[in-house]
Amino acid sequence: MDIFFGQLFTGLSIASILLLVALGLAIIYGAMGVINLAHGEFVMLGAYGTWFLQSQFGLPLIPCLLLVFFMVAAAGWVVESTVVRFLYHRPLDTILATWGIGIMLQQAVRLSAGAELRYVQTPEFLSGSIDIAGVGIPSYRLFILALTAALLALTWFVIQRTEFGMKLRAVTQNREMASCYGINSARIYSLTFAFGSGLAGLAGALVAPIKSVAPDMGTNFVVDAFMVVVVGGVGSLIGTVVSSGLLGSGTAGIAFLLNDTLAKALVFLAVVVLVRFRPQGLFVDQRRR
Amino acid sequence: MSKSTLSRSKPYAQLAAYLLFCAVILAVPSFVTDAFLLNKFARYLALGLAAAALALSWGYAGILNLGQGVSFGIGAYAIAMHLKLKTSPVHTGSAGLPDFMVWNNLDHLPWFWQPFHSSLFAVAAGILAPVVVALLLGSFMFRARIAGVYVAIITLAMLAVVNLLFIDQQAYTGGFNGITDLAWLEAGSVTFDPYSPAFYYLSAGALSLCLLLGLAFTRSKAGLILQAIRNDADRVRFFGYDVAAYQSLAFAVSAGMAGLAGMLYAMVLEFASPTFMGVPLSLSMVIWAAVGGRGSLLGAAIGAILVNFMQGSLSESFLDTWQLILGGMFILVVVFLPNGLSSLIGILADRLTRPARQTPDTALAALSEAPRAGRTPS
Amino acid sequence: MAYLELHGLEVSFDGFKAVNGLDLAVERGELRCLLGANGAGKSTTLDLICGRTQPTGGRILLDGQDITSAPEYRRARHGVGRKFQVPSVFRELTVRENLEVAHSRHPGPARTIRLFPGIRLDRRIAEVLEIVELADELDTRAAFLSHGQTQWLEIAMLLVQDSALILMDEPTAGMTIQETGKTSRIFQRLRGRHTLIVVEHDMGFVREIAETITVLHQGKRLSEGSIRQVEEDPKVREAYLGSGGISHA
Repeated sequence: MDIFFGQLFTGLSIASILLLVALGLAIIYGAMGVINLAHGEFVMLGAYGTWFLQSQFGLPLIPCLLLVFFMVAAAGWVVESTVVRFLYHRPLDTILATWGIGIMLQQAVRLSAGAELRYVQTPEFLSGSIDIAGVGIPSYRLFILALTAALLALTWFVIQRTEFGMKLRAVTQNREMASCYGINSARIYSLTFAFGSGLAGLAGALVAPIKSVAPDMGTNFVVDAFMVVVVGGVGSLIGTVVSSGLLGSGTAGIAFLLNDTLAKALVFLAVVVLVRFRPQGLFVDQRRR
Repeated sequence: MSKSTLSRSKPYAQLAAYLLFCAVILAVPSFVTDAFLLNKFARYLALGLAAAALALSWGYAGILNLGQGVSFGIGAYAIAMHLKLKTSPVHTGSAGLPDFMVWNNLDHLPWFWQPFHSSLFAVAAGILAPVVVALLLGSFMFRARIAGVYVAIITLAMLAVVNLLFIDQQAYTGGFNGITDLAWLEAGSVTFDPYSPAFYYLSAGALSLCLLLGLAFTRSKAGLILQAIRNDADRVRFFGYDVAAYQSLAFAVSAGMAGLAGMLYAMVLEFASPTFMGVPLSLSMVIWAAVGGRGSLLGAAIGAILVNFMQGSLSESFLDTWQLILGGMFILVVVFLPNGLSSLIGILADRLTRPARQTPDTALAALSEAPRAGRTPS
Repeated sequence: MAYLELHGLEVSFDGFKAVNGLDLAVERGELRCLLGANGAGKSTTLDLICGRTQPTGGRILLDGQDITSAPEYRRARHGVGRKFQVPSVFRELTVRENLEVAHSRHPGPARTIRLFPGIRLDRRIAEVLEIVELADELDTRAAFLSHGQTQWLEIAMLLVQDSALILMDEPTAGMTIQETGKTSRIFQRLRGRHTLIVVEHDMGFVREIAETITVLHQGKRLSEGSIRQVEEDPKVREAYLGSGGISHA
């Protein structure tokens, strides 16, 4: 029983980090159809931002989160308005251009902050562990879980219940028509990209204490996040949630039986097969042509 | 793309450009005697071949393969297995077992390593194994009419799968370290010391041969049909062509070339490592091909050689800044010159020969690409 | 047995039956016009015959062979050619290259990889170019052609493809009166040698070329016969009452 709970929690924990990282990507890809390969670098920026604020100004983690969100969102806004904006009609080229942006961000960080690993401290009150059903669970992991849920709720609220979200949904469905009704679609896209980037930055800030912070940390995140979004289906928040749950628990389960590396390989293989048979993802209906 | 008008109306100019390039790379050892430089150049040529292979599937058939490292890596490991068996091992177990197998407590050579004692088998495997993998993956994807972005995602995921598997199977592949301390390839009385002119000629010869064969392939009717498929796969079907077969063909030919490139690369570096199948290298290949010109095998090869040459001639301290500049340059090319530097020639030639006609607007050409292609929309 | 036979053909999209139990028989060498209001299922019928859409019921027989579930390229090899409503050519390729792709006597990769399209034109291609008056535009990229020229290019591609059965979806859409006239002359030449099924709104054009007309209504065959028979058919009058008869459909 203990092992089961332990595994369940490991799965949940992996899933929550997956979801955290994938959330921003899901919004950008779902709403704009942009495959943003610089997403991992936004996560990395968030981690470095936290490290910087903490080591230079001694800020504790919690206030860092808010600052980092806006910092990385600003970076995303700049990227959208200088590069991505020109490529909306060329989805394959956005893959390339955003990869270029990723390289630039990586190098910029390497030049300014150095290539060595950096460490971010877990806040004092979250460094212990809590006993649930006889299993010791690190409080910080629980904190991530809770915050992921909160961010998910926030995202849902922004998209479903605000005027911005309504305009975003309109633009997603038919950009030309939305523009005809006086929606400034360019501005909506900029804001969406900034919001998605900000979420990535937050993810980076949150994972910084449990992963090593390095300039090339983003590459792994972006591949994982992509698999989550693709499995869940474009433009489906619920799909993203369920698919991070599936991939997270799948990885944890196989890792328990075999090992981490094979677990990842097998999960990716499953994703390949799934994309072949349901390219639209698990939770999106195939519409009539 | 502007290339096609140019190439159709001036077929001999294109052939001349290819031949000139081959002559130049084959003439290099007559001017360069420094062994380290030759070794460097041979490495660039191997990467040039990998980029040219990518241009074949991406530029011609519209298959954006983000997992070129799968073929490249399989080629590299195939030859590395052979060359490893030829080293006099430092830490031998019985029967000259490779060192990493000893460390992993293997006591005899696994069966699938056995045939790699033969150099001929290794070279054949380095080319044919990627071809077979590509044919399988290709028909798996293309029969289901997976296209565009989804091809990119599947190939990227496959790259991750293969990379992780090679890391995981430590006892057979050397795990994280890969296969190191390789011997030199021997063919007849020639030993291909990676610092010798002989090895350089091997690389230059392989690249020249592939470029010329590739040119023949792209200018054949099959090459034309591939371009038509890139334009509008649905329409091609109604002329009776089996689109999936053609796509798989291009994918497989490209994989064979990439396998050869991987072999040369492993020989020139004297090791094979899972980084050959890493996401960064595969995406770098895409970048080189894009900078040189995805629509031209020669352009892509030159792009790879140029970028690596510039990178290789910079000092260590400037390397990080260079990468930053490279990223920026790359973005500029993608946004403003989607067909790469080689399309500049085409655009200029069009300007010179037909001043009255408007040159193909790059943005316009891009617009005709189907947006968000999934299962081919209709 | 007719050359092309549709038996109880059906297709539904999300419950909507676009074609609903359609029976149709077309003889070899016949020129058949499909008429009907928007949504009557004309274009969908062509889609079903050429394999662009898979039927949810019924059978398609071509020259006695069941092609109901054959993929598009196999049907094309059996002799089905299609012209689309929106002219559909390879925009990045030149006129010459477009025609070379259409010239698909040997469509397998094993053959095409050994074929090198030369500078000189195949005799048949040259002949077709004369007919459609695109000889001067051989090396122009299709993206730079005018709308009319693009229509002609696609028709030329079909002529080069030389299919036994040619499906035409509104071939004269967007054409001037002169161009329409030319199209009708081309059709007269094709008649007999090829089997043609034409969806067309232009009644003048239909009068000029049609022998037999099939009127579709709500995915079914409503009436069939010569122009006069169809126009006098009370069922047709009833279905199109208020829209001034079939001529204004």
